[in-house]
Amino acid sequence: MKRILTVLVSALLMVSLLAGCGSGGSGGQSQQQGNEQGAGQADGKYRIVVMPKLVGIPYFNASEEGAKRAGHDLGVEVIYTGPTKADAAEQVKMIEDLINQGVDAIAVAPNDPAALTPVLKKAKEKGILVVDWDTPADQSVVDLSIHQIDDKEFGEHIWDLLVESMGTDEAEYAIITGGLSAANLNTWINYGLEYAKTRYPNLKLVTDKIPSDEKQQVAYQRALDLIKAYPNLKGIIGISTPAPIGAAQAVQEKGLQDKISVVGTALPNDSKAYLMDGSLDVATLWDPAKLGYLTVALIKDMLDGKKPTDGQEVPNVGKITVKPDGKTVIMGPPTDFTKDNVDQFNF
Amino acid sequence: MSRTSKERVLLYVFVGLFALMSLISPNKFLSPGNLQSMATQLPELGLISLGMMVVILTGGIDLSITYTAALSGIVGALVLSAGYTGGAGEAAAGLLIMKALLAILVTAGLCGSLNGFLVSYVGVSPILVTLGTMTLFEGISLWLTKGGAVSGFPEEFQWIGNGYVGFVPVPILIFAVFAVITAILLERTPWGRSVYMFGCNPVATYFSGINTKKTVMWVYLYAALLAAAAAIIMISRYNSAKVDYGSSYLLQSVAIVVLGGTDIAGGYGKVVGTVIAVGIIQVLSSGLNLIGINRFIVDVTMGALLIGVLLLNYFIGKGSLGKGVKKDAQKANTAL
Repeated sequence: MKRILTVLVSALLMVSLLAGCGSGGSGGQSQQQGNEQGAGQADGKYRIVVMPKLVGIPYFNASEEGAKRAGHDLGVEVIYTGPTKADAAEQVKMIEDLINQGVDAIAVAPNDPAALTPVLKKAKEKGILVVDWDTPADQSVVDLSIHQIDDKEFGEHIWDLLVESMGTDEAEYAIITGGLSAANLNTWINYGLEYAKTRYPNLKLVTDKIPSDEKQQVAYQRALDLIKAYPNLKGIIGISTPAPIGAAQAVQEKGLQDKISVVGTALPNDSKAYLMDGSLDVATLWDPAKLGYLTVALIKDMLDGKKPTDGQEVPNVGKITVKPDGKTVIMGPPTDFTKDNVDQFNF
Repeated sequence: MSRTSKERVLLYVFVGLFALMSLISPNKFLSPGNLQSMATQLPELGLISLGMMVVILTGGIDLSITYTAALSGIVGALVLSAGYTGGAGEAAAGLLIMKALLAILVTAGLCGSLNGFLVSYVGVSPILVTLGTMTLFEGISLWLTKGGAVSGFPEEFQWIGNGYVGFVPVPILIFAVFAVITAILLERTPWGRSVYMFGCNPVATYFSGINTKKTVMWVYLYAALLAAAAAIIMISRYNSAKVDYGSSYLLQSVAIVVLGGTDIAGGYGKVVGTVIAVGIIQVLSSGLNLIGINRFIVDVTMGALLIGVLLLNYFIGKGSLGKGVKKDAQKANTAL
């Protein structure tokens, strides 16, 4: 009796699992799977993996849309998959599995470049095209490296926006950054400061860049302190996505929309409310959907044997820049989000 | 194993899942490449789960186990990268690797001793002690690395995590050795018996003349040793060490131990159960990944599986309660 029960419940468990797989597949991927299983690679469609740092956040959902659209437009199969946590170990495991699945190209946004080097080497040995996107991997293993932005141009652009929003370059301003050790944020700030020295010599930075631990709450506190400490403050630059939002929150609370300009790098969904009432003047970043599209488009070209060229016009993306090494690609100028266009974006 | 033991049920589930995955995608799942990569992926989590199991057998829990692994891995990585100059000879590299392995073991030993000392001699509850040491080890790791990755190891070191003996990956061999050692220690030595006894009833164990403090001390030390083995595989596989490598293994390992039939209150649990449970999770994760199922569904399936097996064990337990009181009593006798 006991034994029968055991077998019965085991069977039930297996069936429910099977059902789980089935329904998971029908959620949009089963059709692809059907193709894969039936035709495999025989149908000549390239199979391209695009792996984000993690799935399920608005930024990477937007790039998924772009990558999938490119797959549809260009007739390649795009597998957009990644870990549910930003964990490098998980990425390594998933890439291993994908290598066994037999794909033509893997594009990855590494959570930790060093950790992925061995597995990417392995993929390369199997003849898979290895690409990084969004965040650079170990440059010795990738065949193509797709960057969203030129760091120098981006830094300078932020300072231009600040001066434009304040309406004058003779003013006091401050910088709130994500963290003092974040390499990409520091690069942008340094390029911006250097540019300001020659281009806007009257612009006065009141204090060193202030860290906000990548938290909106901390940025808000720091901005309040700044407003109190420097009554003549006219502008705040927020670098890292929560920083401008926190600063705008402080400006909004104090009702200083007209006196203090806030600009910075922020996501449109977060900044919408602040852009609307003017506490945040303008946010700038890149469009992750375009980035996803570009990644797939360039990989398709590479698989066809075409290398990207400087100034090449990529449909739906625009002109791209290719660095002299021939494999570092820059998507193009940043996208600005203002109260007029913020509704067009969803990330 | 009796016919309806928890371990036997698990084995059925494992074989069933394996067969199911093989059926769904025969040429991918059963390919040598996939079998090899599953065997490479499984040991990290497996070793940490074994360590967690030993602790849970005493009715405790070791929340610091993944950070013990992270910290000892980082110390080893610092030794490796500091001594690595690039063009050193094979002998020098060998010596350096030995030094690093020793550093990893010593660090883990210190971490484990601290846990063991606080739990057994000071008498603080394990969940509080290891919550504290978890934060402590994380803090030290962050301080040592400033949050970044430590890399730059000799080529030879990568063999531990990525190499093969014949066609068998090295990590799975390491895991097999430790699984056998753990099984022997728990089931064939006086220490092992006192671990089970302590989990059933600490007071009775104490009054039966066993040095329970020493027993518990060694439990935490042994768990840390297993964490060190996992750390060695991890830093070799990823060719670097970082604070958050393996941080997602903490709750997964608890889930696996429970899935493997170990009583969360202590006193019962078999190495074989934990090993099969790790296998189930691996087959499920790799299999679903291979057939391209959405990652969220994978998480959902794992959760459903855990709850399903728990329910199954509950019903079996209930069945044997009515009919098998005598048998259980017998089992208890043999366990003691």
